[in-house]
Amino acid sequence: MSISSKLGSAFRSAAQGVRHGPFVHAVAVLTLAIALFTLGLARSVDGLVQAMLDTLGGSVTVTIYLEDQTPDADAQVLLKTLEEQVGGTAVLVPPRTSLERLARELPELSGLLDAFEDSPLPASIEHTMPESHRDPEVLRRLSDVLAQVPAVADVDWGEESVTRLSAIARGMRLGGLVTFLIVLVATVTVVAATLQLAIYARREEIEIQKLVGATDRFVRVPFVIEGLMQGLLGGALALGALLLLAHLAAPRILGLVDFLLATETRLQLVSPRLGLELLGGGALLGLCGSMLAVRRFLRV
Amino acid sequence: MIELFHVSKAYPGDPPVLHDINLRIDKGEFVFLTGPSGAGKSTLLKLIFCAEQATRGQILVGGRNVARIRESAVPFLRRNIGVVFQDFKLLPHRTVEDNVALTLDVLGVPRHEARERVYQMLKRVGLAHKRDVLPPRLSGGEQQRVVIARALVNDPTILLADEPTGNLDPARTLEIMDLLGDVHVRGTTVVVATHDISLLTRYQRRTIRIEAGRLVADEDGVALARRLAGR
Repeated sequence: MSISSKLGSAFRSAAQGVRHGPFVHAVAVLTLAIALFTLGLARSVDGLVQAMLDTLGGSVTVTIYLEDQTPDADAQVLLKTLEEQVGGTAVLVPPRTSLERLARELPELSGLLDAFEDSPLPASIEHTMPESHRDPEVLRRLSDVLAQVPAVADVDWGEESVTRLSAIARGMRLGGLVTFLIVLVATVTVVAATLQLAIYARREEIEIQKLVGATDRFVRVPFVIEGLMQGLLGGALALGALLLLAHLAAPRILGLVDFLLATETRLQLVSPRLGLELLGGGALLGLCGSMLAVRRFLRV
Repeated sequence: MIELFHVSKAYPGDPPVLHDINLRIDKGEFVFLTGPSGAGKSTLLKLIFCAEQATRGQILVGGRNVARIRESAVPFLRRNIGVVFQDFKLLPHRTVEDNVALTLDVLGVPRHEARERVYQMLKRVGLAHKRDVLPPRLSGGEQQRVVIARALVNDPTILLADEPTGNLDPARTLEIMDLLGDVHVRGTTVVVATHDISLLTRYQRRTIRIEAGRLVADEDGVALARRLAGR
């Protein structure tokens, strides 16, 4: 018997299975769809949280106050050294600019501040940290090193806020991971139970096939095809539901958290990658779930 | 063809269902396996087609020791043994044709060839006109004939029938027994488990009697019929 003939027979058997138990199949597809939708939603929310954390993390800035009368050339050397050795971007803020900023931030004092002919504020370097240096410990070490440089009067890296932000970010990432794992385990459990239920309804058919001489592979293949189809269909339904949700709710959600996102962030709640993950994940779940579920009914 | 040496079967915690059975059935024989309900007839048949494993002893089927057969080899053994189940074991949502074709699907017979062979088999059991009907719409006798057709469609060398007339009226019983007789005439080894004494006297075949899991008699059919008539 040719492979195409065998496959044809397996597909016919799978189609018969669907035709004769449409309700059980609908339940299996819906369960897969709901499970994958939940997973997809968890991934979308995680993506949103990550974008917010990246944005917040991206604003970690170390301000290096220079000694009075530090020559511009020395300041530039320090700035370049920082950019080369630490990374990120460093900007030299002259004393006059600092004074203007202060006047903008405290308008009630602008008259008083205008009275200064020379800015009383020191020149500073504002260094926006790269991702690798957004950790409180790393920042503390960097700050200690910079404090030893003769031209540096003081270093401010916002110790309290960075430490708190870092703790919040860690908590959110851990929470996201734990939530994702819980949803994943629940998904696999529910899908396996549902597929087992669907196959249980056809245990008699399996028994008869085995009694007339069917090999395990002969019995298994149609169920695996069914599982694959159910998984793909469930994945497609989940993707459709997520796209609909994103279309309806994304403007509001993004409006709520907009201030926490960097202006250059183009956030997609449902990315093409997530779409592929849902379809692939659905197919994999259906495939593995049905293979495992059918196994316990093969002993006849 | 079928040989059993000191075969016993027991389930944990229960007394043995079969105890030290020794038996030989030659190729082309027609044998009745009889005894009261629960004597172990069905279990003996199950051991032969590997639906159960013997606790002790050896079972040779066509020269092959099925008591020690690998699990992966069981399907290939079953393809040579047609089984008529007491409870039919038909798929209620598949047509008569599909039910019978199942045996050929398993063998990988191409669809068009399978359809032709199924049609010929259904003609032989007198059900060609009902090939598109679902089993629940058939009478008990018709369902039993479908089961026989399914068991025979791949020309097995052995046919095991477990109480094939158990649920049938006398007219249908004769119909089924004639069909099994016809199968035997064509060279198939037939083993029929039954507790119906009237079948034994009517058909006068070798009869093996099992009681409480022990083989208590192995008689020639004619002698048995004379003995029963002389009671």
